[in-house]
Amino acid sequence: MSVPGYHRPKSVEDAARLLAETDGARCLSGGATLVAMMNASLAEPKAIVSLAGIPELAGIAELANGGFRIGAMTRHAATAADARLAGTLAVLRDAARQIANPVVRNMGTIGGSIGFADPAADYPPALVAANAEVEIVNAAGRRRVAARDFFVDWYTTACGPGEFVTGVHLPPPRPGAGLYRKLARVSGDFAIASVALSAARDAAGVSVRIAVGGCGPRPIRADAADALLSAKFGDAAAAAAAGEALAAAADPVDDVRASAEYRRLVIPRLVAETVAHARAALEAR
Amino acid sequence: MRIEGSFVVAAPRERVFAEITNPALMAGCIPGCEAIEVIDPKTYRARILIEVGPIKARFNLVVEVKEEAPPERVVSVTRGEEGTRASVISSNNELVLVPAEGGGTEVKYVSEVSVTGRLGKFGLGMMKKKAEALGAKFAENFRGKIEAAAAS
Repeated sequence: MSVPGYHRPKSVEDAARLLAETDGARCLSGGATLVAMMNASLAEPKAIVSLAGIPELAGIAELANGGFRIGAMTRHAATAADARLAGTLAVLRDAARQIANPVVRNMGTIGGSIGFADPAADYPPALVAANAEVEIVNAAGRRRVAARDFFVDWYTTACGPGEFVTGVHLPPPRPGAGLYRKLARVSGDFAIASVALSAARDAAGVSVRIAVGGCGPRPIRADAADALLSAKFGDAAAAAAAGEALAAAADPVDDVRASAEYRRLVIPRLVAETVAHARAALEAR
Repeated sequence: MRIEGSFVVAAPRERVFAEITNPALMAGCIPGCEAIEVIDPKTYRARILIEVGPIKARFNLVVEVKEEAPPERVVSVTRGEEGTRASVISSNNELVLVPAEGGGTEVKYVSEVSVTGRLGKFGLGMMKKKAEALGAKFAENFRGKIEAAAAS
């Protein structure tokens, strides 16, 4: 293969322009995905636009509304360690700390991970459960897409040609629980199935968002599951019904990790277990 | 992996058979087909671009018709390589046309596909979904061409 060209722009605007102007160009963030893909000769960019020199893409910033913006270059380890992501937003921290291993968590970034959109990765369902929005840039400007609409298909996102992810916007954290549970062959593997759940609790009651990873082309969600869990949080029958609704919405395939049939079977169990843990977390508060 | 599907076209079987064995028309229906060339009446060469997320693979395929029984059945074998790479795709295909209930023709296809090389690193389960989506897209394109021609 030929050696790709290398660019290291200093601003998002320059990066967007380079990406649009350069044939076969691809953004490089932490390299945990792209470099692995290049080593496997699955990705062969003709040019690399490194995002490492753009200050605004690094780190987690609190917004005026009390929410947060996680820059695309933020490493998984930094997201996992940020205590401000509490309450309902703890779902994202919980997912970040379960990604792969310390080496990957120190190199890999949220932008790179979600840009690749492997449905068995940990961030996609967690971002859906957190009701996050993904910030995307192109040469003409920026736009934001709800996480549930960002993940379109296997390895396919709402990013069009010449676009890349600049960050993730999280709503203000609400008191409650946020957690992510993963069933994997070994610690650090991609999920056979995973469940991300956020449960906000206030005087009016409980409001739940739940999403399943590893069981279809994108994070699996069901309005019925959110409604059932919100109406009777912690109720075993409601959790079972929510699990069935999510299993019905799933579209799993057979792969090296597990069969599709096994995944359908395991979703309701993993949902029930996650709800039980979330309930225990709420009661412990 | 086994890929199968079926779709109904609002046209008589003889016409569907003639079109589905017409390389010039097929080139415009097969998703990702960039070129098709007739080597002899039983052999075609085609260039197909397959895209899965960030991965692009361009295959040079040779399609050989093994059995043809107009207007109801075609058996073919496809073999192809991805440029100079060690990716190989091969398939045994059967196409059957039956009169559909209520008029028209039902097109049924079954392919046993094997993929080796770099694309084989992807899970077959996901590739099967992708292949089914391409099959559905083909059906839509083919139906569009035939039915538009019939209406004009």
